[in-house]
Amino acid sequence: MGENQVISTEDTPTIQKVIAVMWPSFLVAGMETIVFFTLFDPQYVFMDYDVTRTGAYSIGFFLFWGFAILPCVLTMYFARPCKPCAVYKDELEPQDK
Amino acid sequence: MNEIPQTAPAKATDTETVEQDLYQKRKKIYPREVHGIFAAMRVAGVAGLLGFYYLMPWILWDGRQAILFDLPERKFYILGMVFWPQDFIYLTLLLVVAALSLFFFTALAGRLWCGYACPQTVWTEAFLWIERKVEGSRQKQMKRDQRSMDLEKFSKKFLKHFLWLAFALFTGFTFVGYFTPIRELAAAIPTLDFGGWEAFWILFYGFATYGNAGWLREQVCIYMCPYARFQSAMFDKNTLIISYDEKRGEPRGARKKSADPQALGLGSCVDCSICVQVCPTGIDIRDGLQYQCIGCAACIDACDEVMDKMGYAKGLIKYTTQNRLDGDHTSIFRPRIILYASILLAIVVGTIIGIINRSPIDLDIIRDRNSLFRETGIGTIENVYTLKVINKDVVDHAYNLSVDGIEGMKLHIQKDRIFAESGAVIELPVSIEMDPDKLTQRTTEIFFKLETIDADMSITEEARFLGPLPMN
Ligand code: SF4
Ligand code: SF4
Repeated sequence: MGENQVISTEDTPTIQKVIAVMWPSFLVAGMETIVFFTLFDPQYVFMDYDVTRTGAYSIGFFLFWGFAILPCVLTMYFARPCKPCAVYKDELEPQDK
Repeated sequence: MNEIPQTAPAKATDTETVEQDLYQKRKKIYPREVHGIFAAMRVAGVAGLLGFYYLMPWILWDGRQAILFDLPERKFYILGMVFWPQDFIYLTLLLVVAALSLFFFTALAGRLWCGYACPQTVWTEAFLWIERKVEGSRQKQMKRDQRSMDLEKFSKKFLKHFLWLAFALFTGFTFVGYFTPIRELAAAIPTLDFGGWEAFWILFYGFATYGNAGWLREQVCIYMCPYARFQSAMFDKNTLIISYDEKRGEPRGARKKSADPQALGLGSCVDCSICVQVCPTGIDIRDGLQYQCIGCAACIDACDEVMDKMGYAKGLIKYTTQNRLDGDHTSIFRPRIILYASILLAIVVGTIIGIINRSPIDLDIIRDRNSLFRETGIGTIENVYTLKVINKDVVDHAYNLSVDGIEGMKLHIQKDRIFAESGAVIELPVSIEMDPDKLTQRTTEIFFKLETIDADMSITEEARFLGPLPMN
Protein backbone atom coordinates (compact mmCIF):
# COMPACT_ATOMS: atom_id res chain seq x y z
CA MET A 1 0.00 0.00 0.00
CA GLY A 2 1.71 3.08 -1.22
CA GLU A 3 0.55 6.61 -1.79
CA ASN A 4 -1.87 5.43 -4.41
CA GLN A 5 -3.91 3.58 -1.85
CA VAL A 6 -7.57 3.92 -2.68
CA ILE A 7 -9.81 4.27 0.30
CA SER A 8 -12.94 2.45 -0.70
CA THR A 9 -16.29 2.94 0.92
CA GLU A 10 -16.15 -0.68 2.01
CA ASP A 11 -13.72 0.42 4.68
CA THR A 12 -16.11 3.02 5.99
CA PRO A 13 -17.73 2.10 9.30
CA THR A 14 -21.44 1.48 9.04
CA ILE A 15 -22.21 4.19 11.52
CA GLN A 16 -20.41 6.68 9.31
CA LYS A 17 -22.47 5.58 6.32
CA VAL A 18 -25.70 5.89 8.26
CA ILE A 19 -24.68 9.34 9.48
CA ALA A 20 -23.61 10.40 6.00
CA VAL A 21 -27.13 9.73 4.78
CA MET A 22 -29.28 10.78 7.72
CA TRP A 23 -27.42 13.84 8.88
CA PRO A 24 -26.95 16.06 5.81
CA SER A 25 -30.52 15.32 4.78
CA PHE A 26 -31.68 16.28 8.26
CA LEU A 27 -29.89 19.62 8.06
CA VAL A 28 -31.22 20.36 4.60
CA ALA A 29 -34.74 19.35 5.64
CA GLY A 30 -34.52 21.68 8.61
CA MET A 31 -33.53 24.61 6.43
CA GLU A 32 -36.18 23.78 3.84
CA THR A 33 -38.83 23.57 6.53
CA ILE A 34 -37.90 26.97 7.91
CA VAL A 35 -37.85 28.68 4.53
CA PHE A 36 -40.94 26.96 3.20
CA PHE A 37 -43.14 27.62 6.20
CA THR A 38 -41.90 31.17 6.54
CA LEU A 39 -43.15 31.83 3.05
CA PHE A 40 -46.31 29.73 3.25
CA ASP A 41 -48.63 29.52 6.16
CA PRO A 42 -49.59 25.85 6.62
CA GLN A 43 -53.14 26.93 7.23
CA TYR A 44 -53.30 27.75 3.54
CA VAL A 45 -51.09 24.94 2.29
CA PHE A 46 -52.95 22.22 4.16
CA MET A 47 -56.28 23.98 4.05
CA ASP A 48 -58.24 20.92 3.01
CA TYR A 49 -56.84 18.70 5.73
CA ASP A 50 -57.57 18.71 9.38
CA VAL A 51 -54.10 19.33 10.81
CA THR A 52 -52.84 21.85 13.30
CA ARG A 53 -50.00 24.12 12.31
CA THR A 54 -47.62 22.16 14.53
CA GLY A 55 -48.74 19.01 12.78
CA ALA A 56 -48.23 20.60 9.39
CA TYR A 57 -44.72 21.74 10.29
CA SER A 58 -43.88 18.26 11.52
CA ILE A 59 -45.28 16.46 8.50
CA GLY A 60 -43.59 18.98 6.23
CA PHE A 61 -40.28 18.42 7.97
CA PHE A 62 -40.43 14.65 7.62
CA LEU A 63 -41.46 14.90 3.98
CA PHE A 64 -38.48 17.15 3.30
CA TRP A 65 -36.25 14.78 5.24
CA GLY A 66 -37.48 11.80 3.28
CA PHE A 67 -36.94 13.56 -0.03
CA ALA A 68 -33.44 14.56 1.02
CA ILE A 69 -32.53 11.06 2.20
CA LEU A 70 -33.14 9.75 -1.29
CA PRO A 71 -30.35 11.64 -3.07
CA CYS A 72 -28.00 10.93 -0.17
CA VAL A 73 -28.58 7.22 -0.54
CA LEU A 74 -28.12 7.46 -4.29
CA THR A 75 -24.90 9.43 -3.88
CA MET A 76 -23.63 6.82 -1.48
CA TYR A 77 -24.54 4.11 -3.95
CA PHE A 78 -22.88 5.77 -6.91
CA ALA A 79 -19.83 6.69 -4.89
CA ARG A 80 -18.92 3.05 -4.48
CA PRO A 81 -15.61 2.42 -6.15
CA CYS A 82 -15.74 0.94 -9.63
CA LYS A 83 -13.32 -1.66 -10.88
CA PRO A 84 -10.50 0.10 -12.72
CA CYS A 85 -10.85 -0.43 -16.45
CA ALA A 86 -8.20 -2.23 -18.44
CA VAL A 87 -6.21 0.86 -19.38
CA TYR A 88 -5.62 1.89 -15.79
CA LYS A 89 -5.08 -1.64 -14.66
CA ASP A 90 -1.97 -1.84 -16.81
CA GLU A 91 -0.64 1.27 -15.21
CA LEU A 92 -1.46 0.18 -11.71
CA GLU A 93 -0.21 -3.34 -11.81
CA PRO A 94 3.55 -2.83 -11.89
CA GLN A 95 3.24 -0.65 -8.82
CA ASP A 96 1.32 -3.24 -6.92
CA LYS A 97 3.98 -5.84 -7.41
CA MET B 1 2.74 9.21 45.00
CA ASN B 2 3.43 6.35 42.76
CA GLU B 3 0.05 6.21 41.11
CA ILE B 4 1.49 7.10 37.80
CA PRO B 5 1.56 3.93 35.75
CA GLN B 6 5.13 3.19 34.80
CA THR B 7 4.35 1.00 31.87
CA ALA B 8 4.36 2.36 28.39
CA PRO B 9 1.41 1.54 26.18
CA ALA B 10 1.95 0.16 22.73
CA LYS B 11 2.90 3.02 20.50
CA ALA B 12 0.64 3.78 17.60
CA THR B 13 2.27 6.74 16.06
CA ASP B 14 3.02 5.93 12.45
CA THR B 15 0.43 7.26 10.08
CA GLU B 16 -0.57 3.87 8.79
CA THR B 17 -1.78 2.64 12.15
CA VAL B 18 -3.57 5.87 12.79
CA GLU B 19 -5.26 5.68 9.43
CA GLN B 20 -6.34 2.14 10.10
CA ASP B 21 -7.76 3.16 13.44
CA LEU B 22 -10.24 5.30 11.62
CA TYR B 23 -11.76 2.36 9.89
CA GLN B 24 -11.70 -0.05 12.73
CA LYS B 25 -14.78 -0.96 14.58
CA ARG B 26 -15.36 1.59 17.25
CA LYS B 27 -14.10 0.75 20.69
CA LYS B 28 -15.90 2.32 23.54
CA ILE B 29 -13.93 5.17 25.01
CA TYR B 30 -13.89 5.50 28.77
CA PRO B 31 -12.63 8.98 29.45
CA ARG B 32 -10.86 9.18 32.77
CA GLU B 33 -12.01 11.89 35.13
CA VAL B 34 -9.81 14.99 35.19
CA HIS B 35 -9.32 17.78 37.67
CA GLY B 36 -7.69 21.09 37.01
CA ILE B 37 -8.25 24.59 35.88
CA PHE B 38 -9.69 23.77 32.46
CA ALA B 39 -11.88 21.00 33.84
CA ALA B 40 -13.26 23.54 36.31
CA MET B 41 -13.89 25.99 33.50
CA ARG B 42 -15.67 23.31 31.51
CA VAL B 43 -17.83 22.32 34.45
CA ALA B 44 -18.73 25.98 34.94
CA GLY B 45 -19.53 26.27 31.24
CA VAL B 46 -21.64 23.14 31.24
CA ALA B 47 -23.51 24.15 34.38
CA GLY B 48 -24.12 27.65 33.03
CA LEU B 49 -25.34 26.54 29.62
CA LEU B 50 -27.51 23.71 30.91
CA GLY B 51 -28.90 26.00 33.58
CA PHE B 52 -29.76 28.56 30.94
CA TYR B 53 -31.35 25.95 28.69
CA TYR B 54 -33.53 24.36 31.38
CA LEU B 55 -34.52 27.56 33.17
CA MET B 56 -35.09 29.98 30.33
CA PRO B 57 -38.52 28.72 29.22
CA TRP B 58 -39.83 29.24 32.75
CA ILE B 59 -38.90 32.89 32.90
CA LEU B 60 -41.69 35.34 32.28
CA TRP B 61 -41.62 38.76 30.70
CA ASP B 62 -44.67 40.95 30.98
CA GLY B 63 -46.67 37.93 32.03
CA ARG B 64 -45.64 36.02 28.92
CA GLN B 65 -42.95 33.40 28.42
CA ALA B 66 -39.80 35.47 27.83
CA ILE B 67 -38.52 33.28 25.02
CA LEU B 68 -41.20 31.51 23.07
CA PHE B 69 -41.00 30.49 19.44
CA ASP B 70 -44.71 30.20 19.10
CA LEU B 71 -44.92 28.11 15.96
CA PRO B 72 -48.67 27.48 16.16
CA GLU B 73 -49.25 31.23 16.23
CA ARG B 74 -46.40 32.02 13.86
CA LYS B 75 -44.89 34.55 16.23
CA PHE B 76 -41.55 34.57 18.03
CA TYR B 77 -41.40 36.28 21.39
CA ILE B 78 -37.96 37.29 22.56
CA LEU B 79 -38.09 39.33 25.74
CA GLY B 80 -40.17 42.39 24.86
CA MET B 81 -40.00 41.85 21.13
CA VAL B 82 -42.28 40.00 18.78
CA PHE B 83 -41.01 38.64 15.49
CA TRP B 84 -43.16 37.63 12.54
CA PRO B 85 -42.59 35.57 9.44
CA GLN B 86 -42.09 38.95 7.76
CA ASP B 87 -39.03 39.42 9.98
CA PHE B 88 -37.35 36.41 8.41
CA ILE B 89 -34.42 38.63 7.47
CA TYR B 90 -33.39 38.85 11.12
CA LEU B 91 -33.27 35.09 11.42
CA THR B 92 -31.04 34.98 8.36
CA LEU B 93 -28.84 37.70 9.81
CA LEU B 94 -28.66 35.81 13.07
CA LEU B 95 -27.40 32.73 11.27
CA VAL B 96 -24.83 34.80 9.37
CA VAL B 97 -23.66 36.28 12.66
CA ALA B 98 -23.41 32.81 14.19
CA ALA B 99 -21.35 31.51 11.28
CA LEU B 100 -19.06 34.53 11.28
CA SER B 101 -18.54 34.33 15.03
CA LEU B 102 -17.53 30.73 14.59
CA PHE B 103 -14.97 31.74 11.95
CA PHE B 104 -13.73 34.55 14.12
CA PHE B 105 -13.32 32.57 17.32
CA THR B 106 -11.87 29.61 15.49
CA ALA B 107 -9.22 31.69 13.80
CA LEU B 108 -8.44 33.29 17.13
CA ALA B 109 -8.66 30.44 19.58
CA GLY B 110 -9.18 27.18 17.71
CA ARG B 111 -11.91 24.85 18.78
CA LEU B 112 -12.98 26.88 21.77
CA TRP B 113 -16.59 26.25 20.77
CA CYS B 114 -16.15 22.47 20.66
CA GLY B 115 -14.45 22.14 24.00
CA TYR B 116 -16.70 24.34 26.08
CA ALA B 117 -19.94 25.37 24.40
CA CYS B 118 -21.05 22.82 21.81
CA PRO B 119 -24.29 21.15 22.89
CA GLN B 120 -22.73 17.80 22.01
CA THR B 121 -19.91 18.42 24.49
CA VAL B 122 -22.20 19.90 27.10
CA TRP B 123 -24.67 17.01 27.10
CA THR B 124 -21.97 14.38 26.77
CA GLU B 125 -20.31 15.85 29.87
CA ALA B 126 -23.60 15.62 31.73
CA PHE B 127 -24.14 12.03 30.60
CA LEU B 128 -20.57 11.09 31.52
CA TRP B 129 -21.13 12.58 34.94
CA ILE B 130 -24.23 10.40 35.44
CA GLU B 131 -22.31 7.39 34.17
CA ARG B 132 -19.48 8.00 36.65
CA LYS B 133 -21.89 8.51 39.52
CA VAL B 134 -23.56 5.19 38.79
CA GLU B 135 -20.80 3.04 37.38
CA GLY B 136 -17.77 4.44 39.12
CA SER B 137 -14.35 5.28 37.77
CA ARG B 138 -12.92 4.43 34.38
CA GLN B 139 -11.20 1.32 35.75
CA LYS B 140 -14.36 0.05 37.36
CA GLN B 141 -16.37 0.63 34.22
CA MET B 142 -13.86 -1.17 32.03
CA LYS B 143 -13.69 -4.14 34.40
CA ARG B 144 -17.45 -4.36 34.62
CA ASP B 145 -17.88 -4.24 30.88
CA GLN B 146 -15.51 -7.18 30.44
CA ARG B 147 -17.48 -9.25 32.87
CA SER B 148 -20.46 -11.21 31.67
CA MET B 149 -23.87 -10.06 32.80
CA ASP B 150 -24.72 -10.56 36.45
CA LEU B 151 -27.10 -8.93 38.84
CA GLU B 152 -24.73 -6.18 39.90
CA LYS B 153 -23.84 -5.29 36.32
CA PHE B 154 -27.46 -5.41 35.25
CA SER B 155 -28.69 -3.20 38.05
CA LYS B 156 -25.93 -0.64 37.45
CA LYS B 157 -26.61 -0.56 33.73
CA PHE B 158 -30.34 -0.41 34.30
CA LEU B 159 -30.01 2.50 36.71
CA LYS B 160 -27.68 4.33 34.34
CA HIS B 161 -29.97 4.01 31.35
CA PHE B 162 -32.98 4.87 33.44
CA LEU B 163 -31.34 8.10 34.62
CA TRP B 164 -30.09 8.87 31.12
CA LEU B 165 -33.54 8.41 29.66
CA ALA B 166 -35.22 10.47 32.34
CA PHE B 167 -32.72 13.26 31.82
CA ALA B 168 -33.07 13.01 28.04
CA LEU B 169 -36.86 13.13 28.18
CA PHE B 170 -36.68 16.14 30.43
CA THR B 171 -34.39 17.70 27.83
CA GLY B 172 -36.95 16.94 25.12
CA PHE B 173 -39.71 18.37 27.26
CA THR B 174 -37.75 21.57 27.73
CA PHE B 175 -37.01 21.74 24.03
CA VAL B 176 -40.69 21.56 23.14
CA GLY B 177 -41.26 24.13 25.88
CA TYR B 178 -39.50 26.68 23.70
CA PHE B 179 -42.17 26.20 21.05
CA THR B 180 -45.31 25.58 23.07
CA PRO B 181 -45.92 27.44 26.33
CA ILE B 182 -44.04 25.32 28.87
CA ARG B 183 -46.46 25.94 31.69
CA GLU B 184 -49.24 24.40 29.64
CA LEU B 185 -47.00 21.45 28.86
CA ALA B 186 -46.10 21.05 32.51
CA ALA B 187 -49.75 21.12 33.47
CA ALA B 188 -50.25 18.18 31.12
CA ILE B 189 -47.52 16.04 32.72
CA PRO B 190 -49.67 14.37 35.41
CA THR B 191 -52.13 13.07 32.84
CA LEU B 192 -49.58 12.83 30.01
CA ASP B 193 -52.20 14.59 27.97
CA PHE B 194 -49.89 16.45 25.60
CA GLY B 195 -50.95 17.29 22.11
CA GLY B 196 -50.04 14.43 19.78
CA TRP B 197 -47.26 16.30 18.03
CA GLU B 198 -45.90 17.75 21.24
CA ALA B 199 -45.62 14.24 22.68
CA PHE B 200 -43.97 13.09 19.49
CA TRP B 201 -41.33 15.82 19.56
CA ILE B 202 -40.59 15.31 23.26
CA LEU B 203 -39.86 11.66 22.52
CA PHE B 204 -37.97 12.43 19.31
CA TYR B 205 -35.73 15.04 20.88
CA GLY B 206 -35.34 12.97 24.03
CA PHE B 207 -34.14 9.93 22.10
CA ALA B 208 -31.85 12.05 19.97
CA THR B 209 -30.25 13.37 23.16
CA TYR B 210 -29.99 9.91 24.65
CA GLY B 211 -28.44 8.51 21.48
CA ASN B 212 -26.03 11.37 20.85
CA ALA B 213 -24.81 11.98 24.38
CA GLY B 214 -25.13 8.44 25.71
CA TRP B 215 -24.09 6.27 22.79
CA LEU B 216 -22.56 8.15 19.88
CA ARG B 217 -20.52 10.71 21.79
CA GLU B 218 -17.19 11.38 20.08
CA GLN B 219 -18.50 9.79 16.88
CA VAL B 220 -20.77 12.80 16.49
CA CYS B 221 -17.70 15.02 16.52
CA ILE B 222 -15.81 12.82 14.12
CA TYR B 223 -18.50 11.93 11.60
CA MET B 224 -21.25 14.49 11.97
CA CYS B 225 -19.48 17.71 12.69
CA PRO B 226 -18.60 19.59 9.51
CA TYR B 227 -16.56 21.92 11.64
CA ALA B 228 -13.99 19.23 12.38
CA ARG B 229 -13.35 18.77 8.70
CA PHE B 230 -12.98 22.36 7.65
CA GLN B 231 -11.29 23.69 10.73
CA SER B 232 -7.91 23.37 9.02
CA ALA B 233 -9.05 26.02 6.54
CA MET B 234 -9.62 28.46 9.38
CA PHE B 235 -6.53 27.66 11.36
CA ASP B 236 -3.28 29.41 10.75
CA LYS B 237 0.05 29.49 12.52
CA ASN B 238 -1.23 32.05 15.01
CA THR B 239 -4.32 30.13 16.04
CA LEU B 240 -4.47 28.99 19.62
CA ILE B 241 -4.18 25.22 19.63
CA ILE B 242 -3.59 22.52 22.18
CA SER B 243 -0.26 20.98 21.61
CA TYR B 244 2.31 18.69 23.09
CA ASP B 245 5.75 20.20 23.35
CA GLU B 246 7.66 17.59 21.43
CA LYS B 247 11.01 19.27 21.84
CA ARG B 248 10.67 19.13 25.58
CA GLY B 249 8.88 15.80 25.92
CA GLU B 250 10.89 13.54 23.68
CA PRO B 251 12.41 11.05 23.96
CA ARG B 252 9.61 9.90 26.17
CA GLY B 253 10.03 7.08 28.63
CA ALA B 254 9.16 5.76 32.07
CA ARG B 255 11.48 6.60 34.91
CA LYS B 256 11.55 6.82 38.67
CA LYS B 257 10.63 10.13 40.20
CA SER B 258 14.10 10.41 41.71
CA ALA B 259 15.87 9.75 38.43
CA ASP B 260 17.50 12.54 36.51
CA PRO B 261 15.97 12.48 33.04
CA GLN B 262 19.01 14.11 31.54
CA ALA B 263 21.25 11.34 32.79
CA LEU B 264 18.87 8.81 31.27
CA GLY B 265 18.71 10.76 28.05
CA LEU B 266 14.95 11.27 28.39
CA GLY B 267 12.63 14.21 27.84
CA SER B 268 9.87 15.31 30.17
CA CYS B 269 7.18 12.89 29.01
CA VAL B 270 7.03 9.96 31.38
CA ASP B 271 4.89 8.09 28.87
CA CYS B 272 2.17 7.47 31.43
CA SER B 273 -0.54 7.67 28.76
CA ILE B 274 -2.81 9.56 31.09
CA CYS B 275 -3.31 12.20 28.44
CA VAL B 276 -4.72 9.47 26.20
CA GLN B 277 -6.92 8.04 28.93
CA VAL B 278 -8.66 11.34 29.64
CA CYS B 279 -9.25 12.17 26.02
CA PRO B 280 -12.94 12.01 25.19
CA THR B 281 -12.18 11.31 21.54
CA GLY B 282 -9.54 8.73 22.33
CA ILE B 283 -6.59 10.29 20.55
CA ASP B 284 -3.00 10.77 21.54
CA ILE B 285 -2.21 14.48 21.48
CA ARG B 286 1.46 13.60 21.29
CA ASP B 287 0.93 12.61 17.66
CA GLY B 288 0.30 16.23 16.77
CA LEU B 289 -2.76 18.23 15.83
CA GLN B 290 -5.55 15.92 14.69
CA TYR B 291 -8.99 16.74 13.45
CA GLN B 292 -10.55 14.51 16.09
CA CYS B 293 -9.23 16.77 18.84
CA ILE B 294 -12.10 18.87 20.13
CA GLY B 295 -9.79 21.13 22.12
CA CYS B 296 -11.31 20.21 25.44
CA ALA B 297 -8.01 20.70 27.27
CA ALA B 298 -8.54 17.59 29.41
CA CYS B 299 -5.09 16.40 28.40
CA ILE B 300 -3.57 19.70 29.59
CA ASP B 301 -5.04 19.31 33.06
CA ALA B 302 -4.07 15.66 33.17
CA CYS B 303 -0.49 16.14 32.09
CA ASP B 304 -0.02 19.15 34.37
CA GLU B 305 -1.00 16.95 37.28
CA VAL B 306 1.58 14.39 36.21
CA MET B 307 4.22 17.06 35.82
CA ASP B 308 3.42 18.30 39.32
CA LYS B 309 3.80 14.84 40.79
CA MET B 310 7.09 14.37 39.02
CA GLY B 311 8.27 17.76 40.17
CA TYR B 312 8.66 19.04 36.57
CA ALA B 313 7.42 22.35 35.23
CA LYS B 314 3.84 22.33 33.97
CA GLY B 315 2.89 22.90 30.39
CA LEU B 316 4.26 19.88 28.54
CA ILE B 317 0.84 19.92 26.88
CA LYS B 318 -0.55 23.43 26.67
CA TYR B 319 -2.47 26.06 24.77
CA THR B 320 -0.03 27.51 22.33
CA THR B 321 0.32 28.48 18.68
CA GLN B 322 2.27 26.90 15.89
CA ASN B 323 4.39 30.03 15.72
CA ARG B 324 5.28 29.88 19.36
CA LEU B 325 6.15 26.20 19.06
CA ASP B 326 8.48 27.12 16.23
CA GLY B 327 9.98 29.85 18.37
CA ASP B 328 8.37 32.65 16.34
CA HIS B 329 6.34 35.58 17.45
CA THR B 330 2.57 35.12 17.76
CA SER B 331 0.46 38.02 16.57
CA ILE B 332 -3.16 38.34 17.53
CA PHE B 333 -4.16 41.16 15.22
CA ARG B 334 -3.64 39.74 11.79
CA PRO B 335 -5.58 40.59 8.63
CA ARG B 336 -7.88 37.58 8.86
CA ILE B 337 -8.89 38.37 12.43
CA ILE B 338 -9.41 42.05 11.69
CA LEU B 339 -11.46 41.19 8.62
CA TYR B 340 -13.73 38.72 10.44
CA ALA B 341 -14.09 41.09 13.37
CA SER B 342 -15.06 44.09 11.28
CA ILE B 343 -17.59 42.21 9.15
CA LEU B 344 -19.04 40.70 12.30
CA LEU B 345 -19.26 44.04 14.03
CA ALA B 346 -20.87 45.69 11.00
CA ILE B 347 -23.57 43.02 10.72
CA VAL B 348 -24.28 42.97 14.46
CA VAL B 349 -24.61 46.75 14.60
CA GLY B 350 -26.72 46.74 11.43
CA THR B 351 -29.02 44.07 12.82
CA ILE B 352 -29.47 45.89 16.11
CA ILE B 353 -30.25 49.16 14.34
CA GLY B 354 -32.63 47.30 12.07
CA ILE B 355 -34.46 45.70 14.97
CA ILE B 356 -34.71 48.97 16.87
CA ASN B 357 -36.07 50.78 13.84
CA ARG B 358 -38.38 47.96 12.87
CA SER B 359 -41.63 49.44 11.76
CA PRO B 360 -44.26 48.48 14.33
CA ILE B 361 -46.90 48.31 11.65
CA ASP B 362 -46.93 46.12 8.63
CA LEU B 363 -49.22 46.28 5.66
CA ASP B 364 -49.72 43.55 3.07
CA ILE B 365 -51.86 44.24 0.04
CA ILE B 366 -53.51 41.43 -1.84
CA ARG B 367 -55.39 42.22 -5.03
CA ASP B 368 -58.66 40.50 -5.69
CA ARG B 369 -57.66 37.71 -8.06
CA ASN B 370 -61.04 37.07 -9.56
CA SER B 371 -61.40 40.23 -11.61
CA LEU B 372 -59.10 42.90 -12.92
CA PHE B 373 -61.65 45.64 -12.35
CA ARG B 374 -65.38 45.99 -11.99
CA GLU B 375 -67.74 48.36 -13.67
CA THR B 376 -70.08 49.90 -11.17
CA GLY B 377 -72.97 50.75 -13.47
CA ILE B 378 -72.73 54.46 -12.82
CA GLY B 379 -69.83 54.94 -15.18
CA THR B 380 -67.03 54.41 -12.70
CA ILE B 381 -64.77 51.39 -12.23
CA GLU B 382 -63.72 49.67 -9.08
CA ASN B 383 -60.68 47.66 -7.91
CA VAL B 384 -60.92 45.40 -4.88
CA TYR B 385 -58.11 44.65 -2.44
CA THR B 386 -57.67 42.85 0.83
CA LEU B 387 -55.34 44.65 3.19
CA LYS B 388 -53.61 42.80 5.98
CA VAL B 389 -52.75 45.09 8.82
CA ILE B 390 -50.27 43.69 11.31
CA ASN B 391 -49.75 45.45 14.59
CA LYS B 392 -46.26 44.49 15.72
CA ASP B 393 -46.28 47.06 18.48
CA VAL B 394 -46.62 46.18 22.15
CA VAL B 395 -49.77 48.33 22.48
CA ASP B 396 -53.10 48.37 20.62
CA HIS B 397 -53.64 50.88 17.85
CA ALA B 398 -56.38 52.44 15.78
CA TYR B 399 -55.45 53.46 12.26
CA ASN B 400 -56.36 55.79 9.43
CA LEU B 401 -56.07 54.59 5.87
CA SER B 402 -55.64 56.82 2.84
CA VAL B 403 -54.72 56.27 -0.76
CA ASP B 404 -52.73 58.39 -3.16
CA GLY B 405 -51.41 58.20 -6.73
CA ILE B 406 -54.21 59.24 -9.10
CA GLU B 407 -56.49 62.23 -8.88
CA GLY B 408 -60.06 61.52 -7.93
CA MET B 409 -59.84 58.07 -6.32
CA LYS B 410 -62.54 57.20 -3.85
CA LEU B 411 -61.61 54.78 -1.08
CA HIS B 412 -64.31 52.57 0.40
CA ILE B 413 -63.47 50.77 3.60
CA GLN B 414 -65.93 48.19 4.80
CA LYS B 415 -65.28 48.94 8.45
CA ASP B 416 -65.99 52.04 10.50
CA ARG B 417 -62.84 51.81 12.47
CA ILE B 418 -59.53 50.14 11.76
CA PHE B 419 -58.33 48.73 15.02
CA ALA B 420 -55.72 46.09 15.82
CA GLU B 421 -54.70 44.77 19.19
CA SER B 422 -51.03 44.38 19.98
CA GLY B 423 -49.74 41.43 18.01
CA ALA B 424 -52.91 41.04 15.94
CA VAL B 425 -53.36 40.66 12.20
CA ILE B 426 -56.58 42.05 10.78
CA GLU B 427 -57.94 41.64 7.30
CA LEU B 428 -59.47 44.68 5.74
CA PRO B 429 -61.39 44.44 2.47
CA VAL B 430 -61.31 47.77 0.65
CA SER B 431 -62.28 48.99 -2.77
CA ILE B 432 -61.23 51.97 -4.81
CA GLU B 433 -63.65 53.63 -7.16
CA MET B 434 -62.66 55.98 -9.91
CA ASP B 435 -63.66 57.61 -13.15
CA PRO B 436 -61.99 55.67 -16.02
CA ASP B 437 -61.56 58.83 -18.08
CA LYS B 438 -58.96 60.04 -15.63
CA LEU B 439 -56.76 57.01 -16.31
CA THR B 440 -53.96 57.47 -18.80
CA GLN B 441 -52.79 53.88 -18.82
CA ARG B 442 -54.07 50.41 -18.00
CA THR B 443 -51.98 49.96 -14.91
CA THR B 444 -51.32 52.78 -12.52
CA GLU B 445 -49.30 52.70 -9.35
CA ILE B 446 -51.12 53.77 -6.27
CA PHE B 447 -50.01 54.03 -2.66
CA PHE B 448 -51.86 52.99 0.45
CA LYS B 449 -50.85 54.87 3.53
CA LEU B 450 -51.68 53.51 6.95
CA GLU B 451 -51.25 55.82 9.92
CA THR B 452 -51.88 55.35 13.57
CA ILE B 453 -54.36 57.78 15.05
CA ASP B 454 -52.82 57.85 18.47
CA ALA B 455 -49.14 57.71 17.65
CA ASP B 456 -46.93 59.10 15.00
CA MET B 457 -46.31 56.01 12.91
CA SER B 458 -47.11 55.28 9.32
CA ILE B 459 -46.37 52.88 6.54
CA THR B 460 -46.84 53.28 2.80
CA GLU B 461 -47.23 50.32 0.49
CA GLU B 462 -47.45 50.24 -3.25
CA ALA B 463 -50.29 48.61 -5.21
CA ARG B 464 -51.64 48.65 -8.74
CA PHE B 465 -54.89 50.03 -10.01
CA LEU B 466 -56.14 48.33 -13.18
CA GLY B 467 -58.54 49.83 -15.66
CA PRO B 468 -59.70 49.40 -19.24
CA LEU B 469 -57.51 50.54 -22.13
CA PRO B 470 -57.70 54.34 -22.25
CA MET B 471 -59.70 55.58 -25.23
CA ASN B 472 -57.32 58.26 -26.44
S1 SF4 C 1 2.33 13.87 27.69
FE1 SF4 C 1 2.04 14.04 29.89
S2 SF4 C 1 0.22 12.86 30.36
FE2 SF4 C 1 0.83 12.32 28.28
S3 SF4 C 1 2.09 10.49 28.55
FE3 SF4 C 1 3.47 12.21 28.57
S4 SF4 C 1 3.67 12.75 30.70
FE4 SF4 C 1 1.89 11.44 30.57
S1 SF4 D 1 -6.33 15.60 22.58
FE1 SF4 D 1 -6.61 16.70 24.50
S2 SF4 D 1 -7.72 18.54 23.96
FE2 SF4 D 1 -7.89 17.16 22.24
S3 SF4 D 1 -9.80 16.09 22.59
FE3 SF4 D 1 -8.20 14.84 23.48
S4 SF4 D 1 -8.08 15.49 25.61
FE4 SF4 D 1 -9.24 17.03 24.54
